[in-house]
Parts: sequence; structure tokens; C-alpha cells
Amino acid sequence: MKLFKSSLIALALASASSVYAESIAITNATVHTVTEQGTLTNATVVMDNGVITAINPQTVTADSTIDAMGKILTPGFIGSMNTLGLVEVSAVSRTRDASDKKADITFDASTAFNPKSAAIAYSRKGGITTNIVTPRGGEDMFKGQAFIADLSGEYDSIVETNTAVLVDIGSKSKGSRALTLQDLRNKLDDAKTALAKEKKEQADAKKDKKKDAKEPKRDEKVINALLAGEKPLIAYADRATDILALIKLKQEFGLDLVIADAGDAVSVAAQIAKAKVPVIIATIDNLPSFDALHQSLKSAKVLMDAGVTVAFKVNGDTHNLYQLRYDAGVAIANGVSQEQALAAVTANIADAFNYDAGRIAVGKKADLVLWSADPFELSTRVEKMWIDGVEHTTESRQDALRDRYTTDSDMPRAYTK
Amino acid sequence: MQKFIPSLLVAAISVSLSACMQSEKQDEKVVLNKNPYPSTYQVIPSQTVLIKNATVLTGAGERIDNADVLMSNGKIEQVGQGLSADNAIEVDGSGKWVTPGVIDVHSHLGVYPSPSAESHSDGNEATQPNTSEVWSEHSVWPQDPGFQAARAGGITTLQILPGSANLFGGRGVTLRNVPSHTMQGMKFPAAPYGLKMACGENPKRVYGSRKVSPATRMGNMAGYRMAWSEATEYKRAWDKYEADYDAGKNPEAPKRDIELDTLKGVLDGDILIHNHCYKAEEMAMMIDLGKEFNYHSGTFHHAIEAYKVADTLAENGNCAAMWPDWWGFKMEAYDMVQENVAIVDAKANSCAVVHSDSGTTIQRLNQEAGKVMYRANENGFDIKPEHAITWITLNSAKSLGVADKTGSLEKGKNADVVLWNQNPFSVYAQAEQVFVDGAKVYDRFDEKYQAKSDFMLGQK
Repeated sequence: MKLFKSSLIALALASASSVYAESIAITNATVHTVTEQGTLTNATVVMDNGVITAINPQTVTADSTIDAMGKILTPGFIGSMNTLGLVEVSAVSRTRDASDKKADITFDASTAFNPKSAAIAYSRKGGITTNIVTPRGGEDMFKGQAFIADLSGEYDSIVETNTAVLVDIGSKSKGSRALTLQDLRNKLDDAKTALAKEKKEQADAKKDKKKDAKEPKRDEKVINALLAGEKPLIAYADRATDILALIKLKQEFGLDLVIADAGDAVSVAAQIAKAKVPVIIATIDNLPSFDALHQSLKSAKVLMDAGVTVAFKVNGDTHNLYQLRYDAGVAIANGVSQEQALAAVTANIADAFNYDAGRIAVGKKADLVLWSADPFELSTRVEKMWIDGVEHTTESRQDALRDRYTTDSDMPRAYTK
Repeated sequence: MQKFIPSLLVAAISVSLSACMQSEKQDEKVVLNKNPYPSTYQVIPSQTVLIKNATVLTGAGERIDNADVLMSNGKIEQVGQGLSADNAIEVDGSGKWVTPGVIDVHSHLGVYPSPSAESHSDGNEATQPNTSEVWSEHSVWPQDPGFQAARAGGITTLQILPGSANLFGGRGVTLRNVPSHTMQGMKFPAAPYGLKMACGENPKRVYGSRKVSPATRMGNMAGYRMAWSEATEYKRAWDKYEADYDAGKNPEAPKRDIELDTLKGVLDGDILIHNHCYKAEEMAMMIDLGKEFNYHSGTFHHAIEAYKVADTLAENGNCAAMWPDWWGFKMEAYDMVQENVAIVDAKANSCAVVHSDSGTTIQRLNQEAGKVMYRANENGFDIKPEHAITWITLNSAKSLGVADKTGSLEKGKNADVVLWNQNPFSVYAQAEQVFVDGAKVYDRFDEKYQAKSDFMLGQK
């Protein structure tokens, strides 16, 4: 299932537009590893063939060397819970592929992913190298499955599909939230019963060798993967009662549960920590709803202090994904440490989706960002970034428009290209 | 077009002697009351405050290091070095920054409040394309917790606008960001009304989908022109009535029309245009529309493409209110550039404003301005903090017609002041103390100065 591009390097080389993935050494960097190694100063990181091959080697051998001059190197930031590549212009229906009325638990929108979306190059300005795309589904409580894409803008951007199941829990504009929770429980319970029955039948079949157990349907297989803990269940939920109900389901059915939005998680932080459920929150969501009366700019800190693993997402439109680092900065201004904030936009996101990324260590994917200064500060910019060990620019359509309208010309603007 | 004809016309009796000298006996002169819902705003009790040794951005383009700010009787008394005052409460501003109170020209707090609820969705009278007769102030829920959150972000003044479903969405109102249980208790005394207009996609989508005009952009323009044409006639009728009356005749007053009252207010120069208008070609036409009907086309809001017509905006004295980076949600928001504000600002006589249109980003308008400054400076501009602050203070005040009262730390102006823990253009910046008319309305470290809305009180 995993399509690590390090194994597809030949394909990348075959593409005329791809930059040759030479080995690169970044020297004299302040490396935030997001591992137990912490922060390394005057450090060297070597990448080759899409992976990090050495940190502080005795001797540096690489095709090219970049002197970071003490600047900060971090893992590439990881976006999540958005529709990057699935929506070009939100209000233009023919550019939207994130939802479908008939979408169900099997909905895989990765085939609609457009790596040439203008939002992708723009998002690189925020140091985002990878994104976990979450379709919006349809009428079903299950909103489909998340997939992982890198932000290279190349046609081989999809890294992993069917990564996690999305389910929407909580307040309803029509009907009762109770029915959703009931449906979810019933589905899990029915599948569990069916599995037990099948197991018994298989055992019986061995005995009498008469009948084969029938193949489960596609949607049943997905539920079975949830029950086996093979696939995370990402539940959108805000109210504390919903969060507690989900924790109960996790315990009962052995789910790999993650809670997204989690507005009132602060009210049950201890329970969430004890159940080892990661949460994905927008740090700047602080206005009350009836489901999230107690969220505040301090939510991230309160949750982290309680021992909850917290990951950050941006609030609002996918086009603003690049703001992830600023939103992390707001969390820092409200009590979170720099290290915690960095983990919340790298390793913690990756971990929540069981994806091996978001850290700087030998053997890890070479998704790296070199920053002009503090990654979270408004005045900082991305100096260089690498995705799978290949350098990518942060230039986007926005830059071309700016240049056109800030360049003097006697001719109409349309001639300035 | 006439929808609301109040049974009680406000009448005033002309008692001038000259009237008695006329041959014709005059009826009472009919005078339209321009302020039927007057401000009842009361300044919160305050003392003389002296902030010492801070980095001060005056909002008028100046930066003064190690400076003091003296507020007394609700006004800015003095800004400078080495100030002292008897009986003043001294605030140590060492390492801190002081700016004017932040002004947001585009907010829907109170009319689209939190929590989001059908019952409080009062921002868009989306029932017909011209609703100049509605006033956003009549929709404001003063208990919106968003007002408190905005105050913690340094917002001291904000304009509450109706939504953008209609060609003419109705009047906007400028509020002081002080807690009150009535709208009038927040209303900025003597601030002019705004009239919300909307270009582009929203009106044509809302009405076109109902098979009602406008369904196209040309339909939008036709809708504006027909309304202004009617308003011109209405104004002429009232002007003639007044002239005839003043000439001693006894004319019959025109029939009052609440919708046309607002448009007439614009033509009279009493009400300022605030025009939701993203695109370059539409802004250029709206400027001409104003010239065609003899009013000023005012401030363009969400002016995503203002950078394409920066010269035109400056030449015509239009403010442009912009986001630093919102884009992509509609076709008309597709051509965003991060330097938009800076490009508009670079022209002589420009009026660049950073606005929020959001209960979330209104809490960090300082950072929104900062993003523009840094991105622009990476691309050939040289913008200093003392200048960038004008986009959320003095220029905003100009847009709202209150620059004589607030928007800068100049002697005699209202003492609307924010004390920041550091450079306000940092992601880590936080407002520590906020003053409106010299009264402390927020203190990050003192719960006594942290207001709470009725809605949040007692919630478990």
C-alpha cells in the first residue's frame, strides 16, 4: 500500500520536469530533529535517494553541500484535515472533488487529486511538504478515507491511499447525534459478531470441510480493519460527551481512535490522555459553539499539560493551509513550547495517521525545510525545502501576478509574463 | 420600492420670524430625523494614565522609542519622552509597544455571533437585492462573546456591516468595543453610517438562483443604477421641498421612503459607501458609478484585486480594505497576492486598510498587517512598523469617517490605546492592556478587566 517515492526514483528521473535527486549535505544547521535527540547545533544532515542517510557523519560526501549558516532545519510540516488538491476554487462546482452525495466508508478521493492545483505551490510557502487529505464524503456518517500526498506538485504525489476512516460525530442540523453514535456502535458490533461467527464457521469448515466462509464486502473489510486496529478512525467531535462516547468505543472495540476538532476536549483532557487518544485541533478556534463552550487559545496548552498528544491543523479554508506555522505560533504565545508546537505540526500528525514521517533521523524520508529564522514567526520565510530529497521552490502563481503588477511597462500588463 | 412608511413622521416646527412675514401660511416643516437610535455610550470611569518608556507607534506614521503616553480625561494628552503627570497611574512600558486602538472596518460580530445559531443569523436580509432600508445596528446582539475576544486582541472600534447577499445590503454601524447590554450603549457617538454594497458573485448567485434580477454582473450594475436614479429623484423632491419651504412657500412634503432615505443620505454626503468588491474591473466601474450619480464610491472591501487598480484607487480617493492572504474560495478571490496591501499603499494619497471579516482574525489584526509587511519587504518594499500600523488604525479611521476622533495617538484625540507585550507584528504579540477613551477595558493579567458576555456566564 505504501508508495514511498524513494523506491520510485527511477520514475522521477524519467520525468523531464523533475530535478535530479543528487545527494545533498546541509551543514552548520540548527537541526530540530523532533526525536529524543532534540535540537542539534552546527549539525550536518545528508540526504540521498529521498532519505536521510547521515546525521553528523565523520566525513561529508555529497554531490552538493549547503551551508545553513546556523539557520533552523526542521522536518517538513504536515498538513491535515483539508481538501488540498481536491478543490481548486471552493465556489466553482466543477473544480470540487472532495464530496459526493453517495460517498461512503470506501470513498477514496485520491484518484481526483490534482498536483497542479495552485494551492499546492502556495502551501509550500508555509513549509508544508506533506498533506493528509480528508474528503468531505456525502450523506453517510462515514466521510470516506484520508490519503497522503506530498506537495511536490508532480504527478506521483500520492504517497499512501486509504490511510484512515473519517466519521462525523456530534451536533446535527437535522436529527439527533444519538443516532449517529448508535449507528457507529451497531456497525462495529455487527462486524465484530460477524467476524466471530466467521471464525467459528472457518473452524467448523475445517472440521467438516464442506463450505468456505464468504468473502466480506468492501465496506465490511474497512470496518474489519478498524476493529483490527489496522487503520485509524478519525472522528470529528467537539462536545465532551461525544468524546467520552468515542473513547468508550475505542476501549470496547480496540479502535485506533483520533479525535479531530475536539473543541471541548479541554473539559475531559485527563480522560483523553488516559485513553491515549491523539487530538487534532485548530489552535485559533476559540469562539464558543454549543458543542465547544470552553475552547480557548489556551486549549493546546491545557491538553498538552494533561498529557494528551496534540496535533495542529488550520481552521477554515484549505487555501489557508500555509498558515499552519502561524497558528502554531499562536499556540506558543499562549503557553505551548517551541518543541511541542513543532511536534504538533510534524511527528504528532504523522503518528496519528501511522505514517512514518515528521522526524529528522537516519532512514527517514528527506522532507526538510530550512528556515530564514524561527519557523513560527511572521517575519520568517522558507529559504529552501526538500521533498523526498528533491529541492522545491516556494514560487507560486501569486508571485507571478505580483511581479506582473509591480513591473513598469509601456505595454498592457498582459505582455508582462 | 416603498416598503416602510412609518405612521409617525418626525416633525419639527419652524419658529423663525421670517416665516411669519411670508404671505402664505406654512404648515409645520417636515424634517427627517437622521439619528433616531442615538448612542447612549458612556465612557467607563477612568483615571489619568501614564505609560512610561515604551516603543510607541503613533498611527500617524511615527515611531518614538523610549516614549511615554499620557492619557487624561479620556483624551491623548501628550506623547513624548520624559513625561510626568500628577496623580497619574503609571504603567511600566519597558520592552513593550504602544499603538492606537486597533480598528476593524469590516466585522459581523453581533449580527453573525457565536455560537452560530439560526436564531442569531441576522446579517443578511437576503429577501430582495436592494435592502437599503435595513440597518445592521438593529441586528446586533451585544452579548456576542466575540466582542470580548476582539477586545483581547486590541480592537477598540469596529464597523458592523450587513452581509453581501444584496446589491445594497443596508446600513453599517460603527461601534466602540465596550461591553454593553444594548447596541446604543456601544454606538460610536457621531460616527457616520456606512452603506454596504456588494459587487460580483454574491448578489448574482443569490438572486439569479431564484430567477430574479440580478443574475449577471450586468444585472448587478443595472440594479445599482436604477436605485441611484430613483434616489436622485427622491433627493431632488426633498431638496425642492426644503428650498420652497425656506422660500416661504407651503409645499407638500414628499412621501417618506425608508429605503431611499439611506441612498439619499449617501447623495447628501452623510453616509459612506462600504462596497464588497473583489475585482479590478468592478472597482473601476463602481468608481464611475459614483461619478455618474454624484456620490463618492468610498471603501472597497475584500479588494483582492486592488493591486491591479492601485493607481485608480489613489487618484479617486478610495480606500481599499483587504486581507493579507485569504483567497481561493470564489473565482473573484482567485487572484490574491500577498503584497496586495503594500502595492495599494505605495501610491501617493492611497488609503490601504487591513480588515478581518472574521470573528477569529479580528483577534489578531496586528498579525494580519504584519504578514503583509514582511512578505512585501521580501519583495522589494521597505515598510516599517510605524507605517504598517496605519493599515489597522489611522487609515481604518479614515475609511469610517472617524479619523478626527481616533486612529492615532495625537493630542486631543480619543485615548484609544493598546499596550502590547512586544512588537505587535510578531506572532507572539499579545495585547496586555486596552483603553477606550482613556478607560481600561481589558487587562490580560487582571480578571477584573476581562468582561464576560451574559451567554458565557454560568456555563458549565
